[in-house]
Amino acid sequence: MTEDVIFTPLKFRNLTVKNRIFRSNISGRFDNEDGSLTQTRINWECKFAAGDIGAIISSYVPVLMEGRIIAGYATIHRDDFIPLWQRLGEAVHQYGCKYILQLSHSGRQMDLPGVHNYYRPTLSSTSRKESLHGFLCRAASKAEIEQLVNAFAAGAWRAREAGLDGVELHAANGYLFTQFLSSGINDRTDEYGGSLQNRARFLLEVIRAIRARVGRDFHLQVKLSAVDRNNVIPWEKKGNVLADTIEIAKWCESEGADAIHVSTGSLFPHPLNPPGDFSFETIAITYDAMISSGVDAFRNFLLFRYRLLRPIFRWIWFRMKKGLPIEGVSLEEARAIKANVSVPVLNTGGYQTASFIREGIASGAFDGVAIARSLVANNDLLQQWRMGRDSPERPCTYCNKCLLNAPKNPMGCYELARFPSREAMIDELMTIYATRATLNLPPVHRPPVPAPAPVPAPAPAPVSAQPMSVP
Amino acid sequence: MNRPERSITATTDPPVTYVELESKRRRRWLLIPVVIALVLLLLGLVAAIAGLIAGKRLLRNNTATYADIVEHFEHGSIGSERSGLPFWIWQALPRLFPEAFGNRLDYRAFGFLYRTDSKGAQEALPIGISKRDYQGVDLVWFNCAVCHTGTFRTSEGAERVMVPGMPSNNLDLYRFIRFILDAGVDERLKPDSLIPAMQAAGADFGFIERKVWQYYVIPRVREGFIERRSRLLPLLAAQSPWGIGRVDTFNPYKLVQMSMPFSAIAPAERNGAADFPSIFQQKPREGMQLHWDGNNPSLAERNLSAALGAGVTAETVDHAAIERVAGWLGELRPPRSPHRVDGAAVERGRALYMTNCAECHGYQGSDRYVFEGAKLGKVDPIATLGTDRGRLDSYTEAFRQRQLAELFAGTRYQFKRFVKTDGYANMPLDGLWLRGPYLHNGSVPTLRALLAAPAQRPVAFLRGSDVIDGSNGGFVSAPCDPARPPPSGFCYDTKLPGNGNGGHLYGTTLAPAQKNDLLAYLLTF
Repeated sequence: MTEDVIFTPLKFRNLTVKNRIFRSNISGRFDNEDGSLTQTRINWECKFAAGDIGAIISSYVPVLMEGRIIAGYATIHRDDFIPLWQRLGEAVHQYGCKYILQLSHSGRQMDLPGVHNYYRPTLSSTSRKESLHGFLCRAASKAEIEQLVNAFAAGAWRAREAGLDGVELHAANGYLFTQFLSSGINDRTDEYGGSLQNRARFLLEVIRAIRARVGRDFHLQVKLSAVDRNNVIPWEKKGNVLADTIEIAKWCESEGADAIHVSTGSLFPHPLNPPGDFSFETIAITYDAMISSGVDAFRNFLLFRYRLLRPIFRWIWFRMKKGLPIEGVSLEEARAIKANVSVPVLNTGGYQTASFIREGIASGAFDGVAIARSLVANNDLLQQWRMGRDSPERPCTYCNKCLLNAPKNPMGCYELARFPSREAMIDELMTIYATRATLNLPPVHRPPVPAPAPVPAPAPAPVSAQPMSVP
Repeated sequence: MNRPERSITATTDPPVTYVELESKRRRRWLLIPVVIALVLLLLGLVAAIAGLIAGKRLLRNNTATYADIVEHFEHGSIGSERSGLPFWIWQALPRLFPEAFGNRLDYRAFGFLYRTDSKGAQEALPIGISKRDYQGVDLVWFNCAVCHTGTFRTSEGAERVMVPGMPSNNLDLYRFIRFILDAGVDERLKPDSLIPAMQAAGADFGFIERKVWQYYVIPRVREGFIERRSRLLPLLAAQSPWGIGRVDTFNPYKLVQMSMPFSAIAPAERNGAADFPSIFQQKPREGMQLHWDGNNPSLAERNLSAALGAGVTAETVDHAAIERVAGWLGELRPPRSPHRVDGAAVERGRALYMTNCAECHGYQGSDRYVFEGAKLGKVDPIATLGTDRGRLDSYTEAFRQRQLAELFAGTRYQFKRFVKTDGYANMPLDGLWLRGPYLHNGSVPTLRALLAAPAQRPVAFLRGSDVIDGSNGGFVSAPCDPARPPPSGFCYDTKLPGNGNGGHLYGTTLAPAQKNDLLAYLLTF
């Protein structure tokens, strides 16, 4: 019997992963408002590590508080968070699973700004508001770009100091890097805008800075959107095409990237990422959490909330999906990129069929796949494959209710049909909180008590004293 | 104990989020277009509501219907009102032109008849006037009854009896039309004087309605009057006044319905005035040559043609209302003659009549009129009859061609049966006692005068009395001098064109006793 390619190790320049399956970046609001991670996050990641995943790509870890997407996600902007991330790494490593920290900055794509960011527009390549929700932003100055570059380098350094296994630059799906890379978004006229080379400058500077900070022997991969398809809102420009992204991937490789992770779309969410359905019933009850985040968000809420208006958004959203598969939605783009780089290529997009993945690897489309939703639905997906199933018994339906619950509710599978009951679904959602609390008593700080001030002696009352009046 | 002097006050924060700040700025910028949009929306809303109200009003086209057939005949609409005038102007005219109305507030001065209601009060509108709410304005104008309702009294002091279906012997249509046309150009019809007069007559206008009347309704009515006047006045001025109980059927028709210029009417055509006919017992007349000159054998076409004269148009005509009247008239018998006559003379007269007259006119049986006679309802040539040709010549072949081609064209009501004749039709004589003066043009005041040779017939006599003449037949018709017309009644001058009293020599050569016998029999009709 030949060895199943899925379970063969994938060797990167600086990292070997035990199999070809990566948990793609996905998370919930598990962490503290200050960006420190919690036991819940460790529990969350361990669920996947226990499922025999080769490596976990952390969800979206901002390198700065002003680059959060959703408040309540752990950050890596402070050195004193290193021990926390270290603890997470140790937990995952127990299962022989690698942990790759995804370094990110929201740019203008900030869904829930949190108390730190309410008062300021986010930095971006542009001052034009985001197209879907109307998030506001301001074009970063060159000095600010330099600070951003340094923040990424510092984030990578912290990841390495925490003993994690590598970092991924989230240069896909509409976040800050995409905002620089995309010809549909970047309207700068300086050396960070215009030509593809100029638009890629910020990303390449970050890679260079990370390499300068952490050296050549720390794993660094870059997640790119193969095709922008930026015209989700019909009057927006289309943005980068595959040929642009192939060039960018080649430049990343030459600047020292160890792998390319291929996704699609210059927004998140995007009709093609994550591919699948769009549950108006879900978004109608969760999107209210985002109404105050963007100047067009209330409009969207109305489009989601009212049945008569839904066809408008349905047309906008579903017109791009026509004729495209869900599983392997960007497989051919990954193949094209892999043909042009020599580092391994990962691909994401609805994977959950073992034979399909095997064929993708065998045919040279990619070297491994990153999976999020199908692993959320079936933490034991790999075990099921090992047992001989090609696809899981209760597969992910690509309903995307996990995604659409994210603004308000815990991350997890919300496809009721996959559970025997609603209670069972909620129990499953709550498993990440199941921990014996080790609650510490905060140290008691007693402020020094000042010596009492001398009280002036009352003046002797005049003989014919008036009754005292209270002012 | 002293209270602490420190006070805590809440501060107003700037907007918490940048999105709010930006939204606030946008709202400020949006304020102007939003206010403009709101104002426009409000104006649009007001306009829409006003439009809706106006639209609803403009779609109105309602008229009363009457269960009672006589009421329907007297006040039911046949669709002529749009050729008429607004009710409130109708009501205001007597106040504005007291000299024309004999200082009365009604239209009796022109011979219109009024019924009294159950409380004894005179009705607002005379017999023959119907009312229709068209586009929110009550309009009034003629129906059949205006020309076909008359009165009689058995003596000067007797009570006046109204008879639906008899020819009007009161209405001076010529004078009424002249008055209306002249009022149109009279400055008393300006809104400044007309509106107060309408209000005095009972109109209750709100501000907007008043403005609508001032700037739309009244100017439109006046324009209509002036236009009608420009068409009709040359004809009316060229004609001698028709007089009470008479109408020129076809000449106004040529000018108004067919927009012919007056110059297109040859002088020989211009004197077509004739008596209003009675319209009793129409059913037996079907197939007879109807109209004085017998130009149409179809009752339906004759009725429709008469309705055009009353003011209906192809668009406004109410066929159902006309047919309802026609159905009733089919069987409507005239009241029995009240004349008391010598039975033996009647019998002698009957014998004379059966020999000399019945062939052409049918005869009065014991209880009903018998519509039998070889020549009954047929046209005798003018050369034979010798009566005045004015009415005959007013209906021309050229006019007939246009009648057939243009009126109700393309509908099932299009005229087909009109013909040009060369004489006058022999009429049934039912209700003869109510039909004086006699001959088609009413040129002979009494039956006795008709049995006299033309030279002996009165040259000028008063029309307009409704006192029946028991010895001569017809109505009391005193002689008069056209040069010195009396204050009331109309002095009919047989010397004027169209008014000639010659011809119809039948019976003129009988001996006086025979004439008395014949007359006795005729008085029973």
